[in-house]
Amino acid sequence: MIQPQTHLNVADNSGARKLMCIRIIGASNCRYAKIGDVIVAVIKEAIPNMPLERSEVIRAVIVRTRKELKRDNGMIIRYDDNAAVIIDQEGNPKGTRVFGAITRELRQLNFTKIVSLAPEVL
Amino acid sequence: MSSSSGLLFLSKPCCTSFIETHLGNWLDGFPIRRIRRRRRPFRSWTCQSPQSETVELGKSKHLEFPIIAPRSRELSSVCSCRAIGSNVNEDADDMFDDLFNKHGKVVFRRNDQKSPVAEVDDDAESLSFAVAMAKIASEVKAADIRVLFVKPLVYWTRFFIVITAFSRPQIDAIKTKMGHLAEKKFGRTASGDSKPNSWTLLDYGDVVVHIFLPQQRTFYNLEEFYGNATPIELPFEDQQPFRY
Repeated sequence: MIQPQTHLNVADNSGARKLMCIRIIGASNCRYAKIGDVIVAVIKEAIPNMPLERSEVIRAVIVRTRKELKRDNGMIIRYDDNAAVIIDQEGNPKGTRVFGAITRELRQLNFTKIVSLAPEVL
Repeated sequence: MSSSSGLLFLSKPCCTSFIETHLGNWLDGFPIRRIRRRRRPFRSWTCQSPQSETVELGKSKHLEFPIIAPRSRELSSVCSCRAIGSNVNEDADDMFDDLFNKHGKVVFRRNDQKSPVAEVDDDAESLSFAVAMAKIASEVKAADIRVLFVKPLVYWTRFFIVITAFSRPQIDAIKTKMGHLAEKKFGRTASGDSKPNSWTLLDYGDVVVHIFLPQQRTFYNLEEFYGNATPIELPFEDQQPFRY
């Protein structure tokens, strides 16, 4: 349940630490973004001496949400934080590694690159 | 990072196939390897032993598991190794045996498991497809072609093909040629990137093709990340690796 003004963690090594969502892409009428949605976000906190800086506007894919994700088979997955992976306009991740467990719904949404960089896929 | 923790709830009785296949892979240090909820009238959670016997675990409505991501690739490979039958994690096996001895009642024996022979057949089919794809890449003068057997490391695919191409038109050529052959000979279509990209990914289900430009190849360094995967020998002469 990510909406504009929501703060998210960054789940990759691109250099950003915290993001704030400012727009959900692809759904003009949609109120909340969920896992697999692309958002426009602003970097609120970044590691020094990295290519990404504070107050930069970027695109990111949501990979973990505190709001539970339901699957058809009755499984419910809920994480402890909201996290996103920063991507560029072409859809390539800005970082080279993704941290933490991610869901395989991302693969069905054509984010297989993120899935192949992740250490664990649920 | 602590951000990978969370909880997984199971609520319906029909949610068995995923759990049986995969829960054992990533719930490291948890004594349960195969879990199944019995059908009505009993509301109970059961777990399956390596001998395909089922043991009762509890009767609560929801069974909770902590989501623990392995900290490194090595740990992940250890977890996955258990799934393919080797006895790497003895502790977990001991804990499981204790659990089994304590409850010790066989309530279900499943018979829809894929036989090892069928599994090997599937692997061989994917391998032939992967090698055919790699061959096409070498025909279009792609460099540094690697075929990696990643099935023991990740559950979601069997083979990775990592290729370096030197320009976007070349990537396009590789993509189209692969698409033609896959559709004609193997009847598969790829999902993934539709346009040539600096990292173009073609997803054929059990075979995933990564086509990189030289710069991106060193940047993402996918072979290092999947360093524990078995490289497959290719039957044709490979181009020399690109030097930087």
